[in-house]
Amino acid sequence: MTEDKKVSPPATDGDLTGDDSTSQQNSMPTTKVQRSARFVSTGIKIGGNYIKHYSKKLFNPDLDKSELNEDNATDIYKSLSELKGSALKVAQMLSMDKNLLPQAYVDKFTQSQYNAPPLSGPLIVQTFRKYFGKNPDQIFDKFNIRSTNAASIGQVHEAELNGKKLAVKIQYPGVGEAISSDLKLVKPFAFRMLGMSERELDVYMREVEERLLEETDYELEVRRSIEFSTACANLDNVVFPKYYPELSSKRIITMDWLEGKHLREFLAINPSQELRNQVGQALWDFYNFQQHELRAVHADPHPGNFLITPEGKLGVIDFGCIKEMPEDFYYPFFSLTSTNLLDNKTETIKAFRQLDMIHKGDTPAQIEFFYTQFCEMIELFAMPYIHDHFDFSQTTFFDQLYRFRERLSKLPEFKQARGVKHFIYVNRTNFGLYNILHELKAEVKTDTFKPHVVLEY
Amino acid sequence: MATIESIQNAYIDYVLTEGAQPKSVYIFAKQNEMTEAEFYQFFGSFEAVEQNIWAEFARKTLTEIRGQEVWAGYSAREKALSFFYGFFELIKGSRSFAIYTINKQPKGFTTPRVFEQLKDIYENFADEILKEGLESSELSDRKFFSKRYKDALWVQFVFVLNFWVNDNSAGFEKTDEAIEKGVNVTFDLFQRSPIDNLLEYGKFLVKNGGIKDKMGF
Repeated sequence: MTEDKKVSPPATDGDLTGDDSTSQQNSMPTTKVQRSARFVSTGIKIGGNYIKHYSKKLFNPDLDKSELNEDNATDIYKSLSELKGSALKVAQMLSMDKNLLPQAYVDKFTQSQYNAPPLSGPLIVQTFRKYFGKNPDQIFDKFNIRSTNAASIGQVHEAELNGKKLAVKIQYPGVGEAISSDLKLVKPFAFRMLGMSERELDVYMREVEERLLEETDYELEVRRSIEFSTACANLDNVVFPKYYPELSSKRIITMDWLEGKHLREFLAINPSQELRNQVGQALWDFYNFQQHELRAVHADPHPGNFLITPEGKLGVIDFGCIKEMPEDFYYPFFSLTSTNLLDNKTETIKAFRQLDMIHKGDTPAQIEFFYTQFCEMIELFAMPYIHDHFDFSQTTFFDQLYRFRERLSKLPEFKQARGVKHFIYVNRTNFGLYNILHELKAEVKTDTFKPHVVLEY
Repeated sequence: MATIESIQNAYIDYVLTEGAQPKSVYIFAKQNEMTEAEFYQFFGSFEAVEQNIWAEFARKTLTEIRGQEVWAGYSAREKALSFFYGFFELIKGSRSFAIYTINKQPKGFTTPRVFEQLKDIYENFADEILKEGLESSELSDRKFFSKRYKDALWVQFVFVLNFWVNDNSAGFEKTDEAIEKGVNVTFDLFQRSPIDNLLEYGKFLVKNGGIKDKMGF
C-alpha cells in the first residue's frame, strides 16, 4: 500500500506541467502496427519470464510463482501504460477485481489508475474552437490551461464563470477509434491471464467494448449524469456536481467543481469511525439505490471517481460507465442472493440455468459440481445482506472471498467461461464497492435499499 | 472599386467554379467589372494572387493566436503547436481552394512557388520562437544544428499540410493528432536529449584518447 500512496493523484496543478509529460506522450506508439508490435514484444518478454522461471525452478524446486508474476506484471504494465486510452482502461478494470489476478498484477495495475500524459495547451484551445468557435478564455472568466487531474481518456481543467468554480473535462482526440483495435490487442492477454478460450471470451470482450465506447461519448455522459444525479438527489450525504450541457460537447464536459479529497487522501488524515461509516453508508445507499430502484448502475467504482467533501459527504464525479440490468438478469440473480431460494435446489438450478452458469450440455455430475461451487459463491456475495448491517472492516470475509476466488481459478472446470455477460460489470461494481468499503473500514446498514425479488422460476 | 480582398475572393470563386485559372487577366477583370490596370495595381499575376492568399492565411493565424490570452505564457513548443492548430482551423474554411492549389503544384523537393510568401512569414515566426526557446534554454543550442531547426519545422509543416489534404476523418481529428504528436516529437529532438550526452561522451573519449592504449586495445 505504501507504493500506492506515492502515485496518488496530484492535488495541485504543478505536477502535471508541460514538458516532461509531453515527452512521455511522444513515446506512445501511434499506429495500429506499432501498437501491435508493442504487445507482441510484451508477449515475447512474458515468454522469457516463463523460461527464466522454469530454469530457476530446475535448481530450486520450492520456488513459488510470485517472482514470475511480478516480472510479468511489470512487463504488461509497461506495455499498457505506453498505450493510453482503452488499454489503460482495461488495466484499470482488471485492477479493480483484486480477486481475479494474483496480487503482483494488482499492485502494478493500480498504478495505472492515476497516470496518463496531458494534452498540450494549444490542443485544448483548438478543441474549444472546434466545438464552440471560441477560445476557452472567451467562454469562461478564468480558465487554467494546465490540467489539474488526468483521467484515463481525458483530463480535467479548472475554470471560473460568474464567480462559480467549474471543472472542465476534455477528451483526448481519436480515443473512440483506438478502442476497438486496442481491445483486439488486449484479447490474447486477457485470454492468457484469465485462462479462457478466445471464442468464449468474445461475448465478454464485446460487452466491455460497448461500455468503453459509451464512455467516449461525452454528450451521452452529460445526459446520464443529469438523469442520475436527479434520480439520486434525495439520498443522504451524496452530492453531485451540476452539469452544464450548453458548455459541453462531444469532447468537453463542464460541471461544478467539487471540493474534496480522494479516498486515499481522506484515509490519510485518519477520519473518525463515525465519519468513515457516514461515507461508507453513502456509498452503499448510492449503489444499492441504483441497482434496485433504477436498475442501472454507475459501474466504475474506482476510488478516483469519488471525492469526500469537507462536510464528509460523498461526491460522485464520473458517470461515464453505466451498466443497465435487464430483468432476465436482475430477478434471477438478486433472488438468489436475497431470499431463501438457495434452500430450494430445483429452483436454484433453474435460476443458474437462466443465468448461463449451468450450461445445457452439462452432465448430472457437472451440474452437481457447479451447483455446489456457485451456491458457495452466492452465499459469500450475499453475506453483507444477511443481517441489517455489515462490518466491512473485518478481514475474515475478504479472506474468504480471496481464498474462494483463488481456489476457483485453479479448478480446471473454470477454464471455461460461465455466466451471462452482465456479470462482468455487476460483479465489478459490487466487489469494487465491497473493496472500497473495506478500505474505509466502514460499518453500514445494509437494509436501506433492498433487492426486488421473485420466489419461483 | 477593387480591393485586395475583393480580387482574392473573385479569384477563388472563379477557380473553384471553373476548375482552372482564368484565360487572361483581361477576361477576369472584365467579368468582375474592373479594369486590367486596377488588377495590376494590386497583383502582378494570378500566381501572385494565390501566393498572397496563402500568405494571408499565415498572417491571420498569427494575429489570431497572438491575441489569445494564454499566448504570453506559452513555451516555444506550445507557440508552434498553437500556430499549427490555428492555421489548419483557418484553412478548413477554404479547403477546396487549398486542395486546388496544392494539387496544381509540381511534385518535388523545392518549395512550390505558391508557398514562397507563406514560407517567409512562417520562417520569421519560427525564427522568433526558436530564438526565444534557445534563450530560455527550453531548446538545446547545438553547433551547426540549431540553425537548421527552422528547416525541420518547415518540413513538419509541409508534412502536416499533406496529411490534412488526405485526411478524411470527421472534423479532421486525425490532423489534430498528427499535429500534437508530430510537433512534440520535433521539439523533443530540439531539446537536450540522450544524443547530446552521447556526443559529449564521444568528445570526451577523443580528447582523452590515451585511454585506448592503457586499456590494452
